[in-house]
Amino acid sequence: MERILLYVEDTPGMPAAVAWSLKLAKGMSCRVIALAVIDPAAPRRREAPASDVEERAWGLLYEIEDDAFQQNVRISLLLEPGEPLPRLISLSSSYDAELIVASADCRLTISELVRQSSRPVVFVK
Amino acid sequence: MAKISELLPRSAIVLNLQSKEKLEVINELVRPLLATGAITDESEFVSAIFRRENMESTGIGLGLAIPHARTKAVASIVLAFGRSDSGVDFSSLDGKPSHLIFLIAAPEEQKTEYIMTLARLSKLLRKDEVRIGLNKAGSPDDIVRVIMQHES
Repeated sequence: MERILLYVEDTPGMPAAVAWSLKLAKGMSCRVIALAVIDPAAPRRREAPASDVEERAWGLLYEIEDDAFQQNVRISLLLEPGEPLPRLISLSSSYDAELIVASADCRLTISELVRQSSRPVVFVK
Repeated sequence: MAKISELLPRSAIVLNLQSKEKLEVINELVRPLLATGAITDESEFVSAIFRRENMESTGIGLGLAIPHARTKAVASIVLAFGRSDSGVDFSSLDGKPSHLIFLIAAPEEQKTEYIMTLARLSKLLRKDEVRIGLNKAGSPDDIVRVIMQHES
């Protein structure tokens, strides 16, 4: 395996998904592509304008990058606008990811991701 | 938390990078930072940046790259900026060369500020008007002005 696509969201379960992905990547000497998707159409809380959401997403990505670096895991960061599920499916194909990892408490519809993805998907609790 | 424009000394703005290769570009951007006193150990800092470059692709698409390192060889957070007409390969996922390159140096113990600076800079640079402004700027003052206009 050469590439793991890690779907990144700001949820309580995310650190476990990150830790699992980095451990797997280290064991298999493969690259992690950490992907955050910002949905411009998603309803936002009044106190969190779009620019803050984007800054928070970059912050999460760079936290993961720093962890990966400390563990000698190769990583690339990706922040994309769009509807999360179709973007994730499409990018997993464009970047030829062999595995998708997401947190079990991600906001995606898990059954839809499993149904639509041509790649294996692991949900980490 | 300091603004991006406050962390970028005008003396560390290189409007016409001469180097064509990633590691040479990094050296070209580190050089003006030495005079600021923010980097206390050049060889240690350059090694830290190169180690990162070997592990990560710091090209983030849209013609942008943000090489960076957090190390004991840095006394305070500081940025350098370089512009390359021909572009430099920073192993961006989109496969395109980087024309606007920001280098970030941060002290080992300032992880939160380092992450926040990276996040704020990445957000800023994804704005079309910022990239257009940085590409058109004719002087270091113009570069700082573009950043100041768009950072919140």
